[in-house]
Amino acid sequence: MQDLLRRYGPGLTLIMGLMVAFWLLMLVIIPNMTLFEQSFRPYLPVREVGGPNDTYSLDNYLKVFDGTIERSFLGFTFQIPVHVLTFWLTIWYSMVVTVICFFMAYPLAYYMAKIVNPRSLPTLILLLFIPLWVSEVLRAFAWWIILAFRGPLNWLLLNLGLIEDPIRWTNMGYTGVVIGLIYTYVLFMLFPIYNAIQSLDTNQIEAAEDLGAPWWKIHWRIVLPHSKPGIAAGSVMVFMLSAGSLLVPSILGSTTSQWFTQTINQWFNDALDWNTASAYAFLLLLLCTLFVSLAMWVFRVKLSDIAK
Amino acid sequence: MKHSTSAFSRRRFLQGSAAGAGILAAPAIISSKALASSGEVNFTGWAGYPALAEKVFPAFEAATGIKVNFKELPDQDTMFGEARVALEAGGIDVIEPTIDRVGAWHANGLLGAWDESKLAMDNYLPGLADGAAGERSRPDGVLKYVPSNWGTEALVVNTAEAKLSTPPSLGDLFNPENSVVVRPHSALAAMGRWLDATGKLPRPWMDGYTDMAAMTELWDIALAEAVKAKGNVVQWWSGENEANAGFIANGATVGLNWDSTGFNLRNEGFAYVAPVEGAFAWHQGFVLMKNAANVEQAHEFAKFVSTPEGAAGWASAFSSNPVAKGASDLMNPDVAAFYNATFNDEALSKLWWWPDQSAEFLARRAEYADKYRAA
Repeated sequence: MQDLLRRYGPGLTLIMGLMVAFWLLMLVIIPNMTLFEQSFRPYLPVREVGGPNDTYSLDNYLKVFDGTIERSFLGFTFQIPVHVLTFWLTIWYSMVVTVICFFMAYPLAYYMAKIVNPRSLPTLILLLFIPLWVSEVLRAFAWWIILAFRGPLNWLLLNLGLIEDPIRWTNMGYTGVVIGLIYTYVLFMLFPIYNAIQSLDTNQIEAAEDLGAPWWKIHWRIVLPHSKPGIAAGSVMVFMLSAGSLLVPSILGSTTSQWFTQTINQWFNDALDWNTASAYAFLLLLLCTLFVSLAMWVFRVKLSDIAK
Repeated sequence: MKHSTSAFSRRRFLQGSAAGAGILAAPAIISSKALASSGEVNFTGWAGYPALAEKVFPAFEAATGIKVNFKELPDQDTMFGEARVALEAGGIDVIEPTIDRVGAWHANGLLGAWDESKLAMDNYLPGLADGAAGERSRPDGVLKYVPSNWGTEALVVNTAEAKLSTPPSLGDLFNPENSVVVRPHSALAAMGRWLDATGKLPRPWMDGYTDMAAMTELWDIALAEAVKAKGNVVQWWSGENEANAGFIANGATVGLNWDSTGFNLRNEGFAYVAPVEGAFAWHQGFVLMKNAANVEQAHEFAKFVSTPEGAAGWASAFSSNPVAKGASDLMNPDVAAFYNATFNDEALSKLWWWPDQSAEFLARRAEYADKYRAA
């Protein structure tokens, strides 16, 4: 704050402070507080709002346990509330997306940071960035077209003689959603890892090679530990973005996939019950934050590591 | 010293330009308010029907001098959401929901009353604004809704590949030999009506729309049966584009879709067929917002759509049916031919109008749709 004041003077500092305050207050804090307050109140007709029935309770949050369905897994059958199941599947497939993104991004990040000729690096980064210039909606639709029953992928496989009947790619559980999410968010994994590996002194790798370490041991003992903050930052971003994505699961979802954000959206738009929808949204935020904190604790990553 | 003066003047410049921008923006803010009370009406309606803006609004403006500010929204759940916001913020005069939602809109205190003396109630075809529909348009005895067009949700079938029973039935949607494209809540209602027609329900399906205990009992049965048959669903649809893509790109052979889907696919080897149980029918129209700013213009607007010209234009834009007497003579002959091919007098007499669905019913219906999706 002192630095800011000395550099820009009181007038401009005040304007900047006010703009940041406006951003935080009007665009983040007040809307979220409104939803948070709404989430404890029942959904009532407008004329009854503020009346005797309009009391605070946890009912909206507890609706997540309503409506059990029967599922079977590994041969034994159990009852589970449908929204709990949806939530669990959302977390699970977000983890799958995160892990696959890591395995795709790590070799590429290493290649970009340590192997490729620095002169061709800008071209490579540009090539990677081009898909980001296209809107997320269009990219999801592009995958929908590719995977469609009468789409180019089936056409190609049929003509190559690899399959005899077209395959319903868009109707295989969460396949489409996972593909779409990986495509949309893999770069959020790539760049933090790239940054982390870049800061590693190449001499360390060469020293390990000179001492006769096999390539996998170099990665396991030197590169991976060094890039841990980058991996953690990338994983948190990919996981949170995936779990919170509505667009990709809506477009690429099959008839058996349901993302928790779609459930929230249904409460808003099909049931017109904004109160329960708010409660569900906060549940997602809270539980994902808890889950990420837990994962960071397990992998011994500190928040300050990521911020770097 | 010199440094600080230059910084000072830069700040002054920034402050000055910020204030300048505010002054420049002010007339726009003021004039949009100023215009709002003159010859225009703020209409929020359905997205994806470009003929409204291309043909109907210009004709309306030519006839009355009133300009239509059209905001397009994809579905009426979004419209409801916007209306709730507009109740506080203003900016909407007229919205176009379907009649089965009017009860919920009214219960939420969103609607103002239409003044019948400023409309032409005699223009409407019999059965649309009078009789049972008339009663549904008048919650608490006050006119809150006037029709704009009506249409159906029935079977879109691939004439070469679909396996249909004779006569075609809603049950064909649950035949494992067909690949189907449905929307969850309609599919459950179709299952319920099919079970009802084949005598497999303990009580009439209609009971579920008035009695929540009956609803749970009936929808539990429909859900269980629909889940058993779910394997043949290849895609959900919620709007026109998805429905279309379900047939063209994903190879569905039968669907429960709007008439506009059937119309758009009529030259692609698909037909639009009324099931023996009767096609689902809907009825949409105009409601006036409680805090509408342009009340006179809104009445002119609704009245225009009850004239033969306006009603025919509106129905053509939606590929649906007009509400005004004498409008069918002005319709696009393609649309008229399409309708006559599907609906003879018997099919028309069997139309099943979506009943009123309360807010509580909608919440439960969403829960059932959820379970059906997740199964």
